[in-house]
Amino acid sequence: MESEEVLKMVVAPTLPFKKVQTADKYPKGQSRGRQWKHLRLLLQAADATSLPPDRPNYLNIQSPPSIYPPKRYCDITGFEAPYMDPRTKLRYADPEIFKQIRMLPDEYVQRYLALRNAAVVLR
Amino acid sequence: MTSVYRPERETDFASFPHTIPIVIDNGASTFRIGWAGEAEPRVAFRNIVQRPRHRSSGETVTVVGETDPALMKYFDCTRSSIRSPFDDDVVYQFEYMEYILDYGFDRLGATSEVGHPILMTECECNPSFSRARMSELLFETYGVPSIAFGIDDAFSYKYNQKLGNCGEDGLAISCEHGTCHVVPFLKGQPVLEACCRTNVGGFHITDFLRQLLSLKYPYHSASITWEKAEELKKEHCYVALDYMSELQIFKNNKEEAEEKTRYWQLPWVPPPIEEPPSEEELARKAALKEKAGQRLRDMAAAKRSQKIAELEKQLSYLEELMEQLDGAEEEEATAILGRSGYLSQQEIKSAILKATQSLRKAKGESNGNEEKADASAVDKYPLVSVPDETLTPEQLKEKKKQILLKTTTEGRMRAKQRRAEEEALREKQEEERRLENPELYLEELRARYSELSDKVDQRKRQKLNGGKTNGNHNSSGGVGRGERLNAAQKERMRLLTSAAFDRGKGEDTFGTRDEDWLVYKKMSKDNDDDDDGNDDDESELARIASKIQEMDPTFVNKTEAVQQTPEPPKIRTLTAEDYRISIGIERFRCPEILFQPCMIGIDQAGIDEMVSISLRRLMEDESVKERLCQSILVTGGCSLIPGMIPRLESGIRQFRPYLAPLKLVRAADPLLDAWRGAAAFAASSKFGRQTFSLADYREHGENLFHRYNIVYSL
Repeated sequence: MESEEVLKMVVAPTLPFKKVQTADKYPKGQSRGRQWKHLRLLLQAADATSLPPDRPNYLNIQSPPSIYPPKRYCDITGFEAPYMDPRTKLRYADPEIFKQIRMLPDEYVQRYLALRNAAVVLR
Repeated sequence: MTSVYRPERETDFASFPHTIPIVIDNGASTFRIGWAGEAEPRVAFRNIVQRPRHRSSGETVTVVGETDPALMKYFDCTRSSIRSPFDDDVVYQFEYMEYILDYGFDRLGATSEVGHPILMTECECNPSFSRARMSELLFETYGVPSIAFGIDDAFSYKYNQKLGNCGEDGLAISCEHGTCHVVPFLKGQPVLEACCRTNVGGFHITDFLRQLLSLKYPYHSASITWEKAEELKKEHCYVALDYMSELQIFKNNKEEAEEKTRYWQLPWVPPPIEEPPSEEELARKAALKEKAGQRLRDMAAAKRSQKIAELEKQLSYLEELMEQLDGAEEEEATAILGRSGYLSQQEIKSAILKATQSLRKAKGESNGNEEKADASAVDKYPLVSVPDETLTPEQLKEKKKQILLKTTTEGRMRAKQRRAEEEALREKQEEERRLENPELYLEELRARYSELSDKVDQRKRQKLNGGKTNGNHNSSGGVGRGERLNAAQKERMRLLTSAAFDRGKGEDTFGTRDEDWLVYKKMSKDNDDDDDGNDDDESELARIASKIQEMDPTFVNKTEAVQQTPEPPKIRTLTAEDYRISIGIERFRCPEILFQPCMIGIDQAGIDEMVSISLRRLMEDESVKERLCQSILVTGGCSLIPGMIPRLESGIRQFRPYLAPLKLVRAADPLLDAWRGAAAFAASSKFGRQTFSLADYREHGENLFHRYNIVYSL
């Protein structure tokens, strides 16, 4: 019973309707490494050069930035944040939150910053 | 039993003729596969792949779609994470796509080959490399005869157009898993030149919610999974009509905010309540204790009796020895002494004395030491009263010593007596004062007590200040950099530094005088403890405290009070409250990122503004735009969030002329309409002309897709 249920979740290694089986395509034990690239790289490599700019493509249909200035919200509570802590660069709404921010461990500060893509990324 | 997580394998695959296309809605969140012309997709599952290791066989297996947590125990998922073939809305990892297609075709019931044309949905302006790789995969691996790609939003729009929800010209606003699109339609065809895309979608909402909650509740971050966050989002999230005023509600109006807050109770088992021990238990414990005490007492008694017997034995031996010595001649006596190991008769006497004393002590009799000492004063100093003339020179010396001893002991005794007298006098005086004016007396005592205790405290603190170096008493006796030194330590440091700097300066005269060496004594750190005065103060303090306590039973001795208080740090027992996750502001804060993507650091326009961008890109008259705005279809999974349509309407109105007509409709089924539209399209007679075959692909290669756009029809 259990194995039957389990087998239902698993994709069978050989399927009769396939012309090329997965195992043949990606032989076992052979390190494939990272064959794929990030989408951005693929797009840069392919479309940017080969496509005329006046035709719609994946890149140029992106919407531009908003015409309104971005509103600032408290990173912790989500309320409107008039202030920013110069040390952690976190935005905060009131002194209570400021105290809380100063108590935060650095990891959490970075995670809060990462929420709005402002964290320091070490490469 | 059919598992909710696992779609059953279809059995009627063979009954479909090879001309009937298979329709795949390859959405970033859900994969739906079914037959052209049918109303519902046959199989639908989450578009994800996991490659865990099977626990018993040790082989890496591929699991596609949602997983039943009950069955996942058969797999070791530590090294495999959940993968999606998508980045935003573009398929770019075709190995995972192959697993998903494998599973999809398998569930659809494919046996010998997939010999059917395929209609697969894709995103707007899907990059040609993605189309090319997908076609390669379908042609080469699955032997598909022909393929057509179509935009999911267009199919959804066409389907709703057929249902009468929207017109021939209109706008589709689609909030999907990874992206949002706005696509204008003119004469029933999407105008891709004017469409626009923002890379924010339902995935980001869920992820934002998950991150916020796990940051808010770090202890529960393990239970806040992506799946749970998705569930919470679907159940509780809503779009605020006016974000700012909604924030104000949560900031200022506590009751309303409380009303809008939802709670998620994590499984919590109350800790077992400790029952107070019953009478029997207490009695049993007392009996046990009593028994143990009795045993100890017995042991002590046995030991004491043994000791007494030993002492008595020794005493009798010694007395016998004395008798022998008394009756013996000089020479015989020395022989006896030599045998017994004592040097003189005197020594034996003192040994007897000692033995009798300790025997008396062991027997628990009162210690008559004092009187004995007094009585034996004459015996102790036998030479004092003997005239000098009769003594030998050695005895003279001995006499001098004895006189000295006697005078000092007498002096000590006298001093003691005097002190006792003084004490008694003072006591009497105090007693008088107390009787005279008890209030005042008590007041005075209190004042003196506080003064003394302050003094003692201060001294203690000073002492501690130097001794406590960051709490660790290291052997070097060094003082932490930040610690304050007490006076003695300061002096030592000064001496050490001056000694270090004087060395080699001028001629070295150190050691010529004896006082020079004293410096080492001062430097040594053992002379810190100079608390002789301290003891006096402390004893005085204790005396006063006892006195006050005598008069005022409510008085609490400060030092005792301090000693009593060190309670063990209490561990607060966790309650159900601690296992409750509240979702208040997050309910509308998370979906708000669709309207303000900059909240999660994506610098693009929100979906309401996208409409105006799309209309601006559309090089048409204002009348056309007005017509488009009267037929706006909202589709995609995020359109199911409550409050979406009113908010979008108010948002779009800001970008439209005053009183311009506006009509928004939610798609009949925002999730399934794309597949249904595609299935209807694939079943129509026009479908055959829109497909391309392997031969076409071989001829044109990737260029085939640069201008590839199908014509959508009802």
